[in-house]
Amino acid sequence: MRSRVAIGALLVSLGLSAGCTRTTDGIEVDIAYQTPPTPQALRTDMGYRVWLDRALIVLGPVELIRCDNFARALWRLFTVSRAKAHTPTTPTSLGIPLVLDLLESGGIGFVVGTIRPPPGRYCGLRVIGAPADADAVGIKNNDEMLDRSVLLTGDIEDGESLVRTPFEVSIQDSLPNELVFTEPLVFDSPRLVNVSIQIDHMRWFDGIDFAQVAPGDAGSAAVQRRVAENIRDSMAAESQ
Amino acid sequence: MVALGPSEASACGTCGVGDPTLTIVGFEQPKAHRFRSSATVRHRNDRIGDPQVDQLQLSEQRLEIAGAYSPTDRVTISAMMPVVHRFVTAVNLAETDIWAPGDLELRFRGVIFRDREFAPRHLVSLIAGLEFPTSTIETDGNGVPLPLEFQSGTGSWDPIAGVSYAFFSDPWSLYVSSVTTFPTTGTADTQAGISSRQTVISQFQPWTFLGFQVGAEFRWDGPGFIQGERDPNTGGHITYGTFGLVAMPHEKLLMHFTAAVPLIQRLDGAHRESLAIIGGLIYEI
Repeated sequence: MRSRVAIGALLVSLGLSAGCTRTTDGIEVDIAYQTPPTPQALRTDMGYRVWLDRALIVLGPVELIRCDNFARALWRLFTVSRAKAHTPTTPTSLGIPLVLDLLESGGIGFVVGTIRPPPGRYCGLRVIGAPADADAVGIKNNDEMLDRSVLLTGDIEDGESLVRTPFEVSIQDSLPNELVFTEPLVFDSPRLVNVSIQIDHMRWFDGIDFAQVAPGDAGSAAVQRRVAENIRDSMAAESQ
Repeated sequence: MVALGPSEASACGTCGVGDPTLTIVGFEQPKAHRFRSSATVRHRNDRIGDPQVDQLQLSEQRLEIAGAYSPTDRVTISAMMPVVHRFVTAVNLAETDIWAPGDLELRFRGVIFRDREFAPRHLVSLIAGLEFPTSTIETDGNGVPLPLEFQSGTGSWDPIAGVSYAFFSDPWSLYVSSVTTFPTTGTADTQAGISSRQTVISQFQPWTFLGFQVGAEFRWDGPGFIQGERDPNTGGHITYGTFGLVAMPHEKLLMHFTAAVPLIQRLDGAHRESLAIIGGLIYEI
């Protein structure tokens, strides 16, 4: 009888025992956006001053790209022109879109999230600016970004006449961008790496001669194209 | 475990039931006041998800402590409590080491047909049981519950129903069963799928102390849900071929060992199971 009681007690005590879990981190890549402080007015390379009232960009999926997948990644870069910002988060990407207000967050690092990739060599990052969806981070106070990837408003001041002309640049297309690391990230064991995506919006209006743009047409397709190119060129990825 | 049971229990389990077949717990012939205890260790590996994308690899060892008591010649009541060790490796080499209790299981087996009272050759039994939500729900570093396949139990009240048939003709025996578990919603809003196992085991026992087993197990699983969302890597069916032996080194002690080899895998999503190894001891009290 004693042994039956002992077995019963053993079963009950096993049932009442608490679980124990130990977790060790694997390969992790923390992603953050970093922008310089926004001055009162930007000076372009053609001598214009740009006074910004609003400067918003929606940054959507961020994806680590394997070195051996670079060609495929480049192909995908050209096939996502109608992409929306929100895509599923995977071990090599973050799908959460973020509305970045450059007037408010300029000079402040903004942590987007952590990518947990499998071992391998990663040569770069793909970042896509794309119109936000309703659950994008920061959309609450900026719901005009639901169908825009970039919105810039303010005044342009001629360097000579000091005449100010209002402008609005609104980009609806997505802006895929490939950022190459100076050194590939090589992961063969668990470790944490910080990757900072630098965005230098001081250069976004470079190369535009506003004197050649018809009055009231500062948001023309040609200007938008140039701004879009400048946005792509203004980004760089640094790892630490 | 060392004290002797009541006097009506026979010196050895196989002698008491009039049949020399060596049986593991759950397959035995009930005899009034027969009491058996067992400790079983199970090892298996699982892979869920796509390699290099989101694959989780699981290595699991379960220790199952069980006792089975027959108050009459037709009824056996058994209780089994598992303790589960799981080692999960994520695609980014993050590792999770889990020790947790599984779900306590209580079963009743009632013989509804036997061809004769003593040493029956044909036994048909009904099985009814219940799994208790004694397991803990494990989560990842972000507090999100791990996939159902990685939990030590369902964390829910799960009724069990089934039927079994056993045939004894020394030195041959055959065991056939169909047992289905019907999970309810678990403690972390998990809903495991209905799981049905069909088992066939034949045994050849050329000596009183040693038998060889060969069989098959077919398992069909319904889809599982975590917090209302379908876990894509649950559901489907798998068939194992089983090869084992059972030995009696002492009249009160049985040892058994089984290797279960997956033969046909039609599991939903990206889910692969591999060789499972089972070994254990049974003590007749």
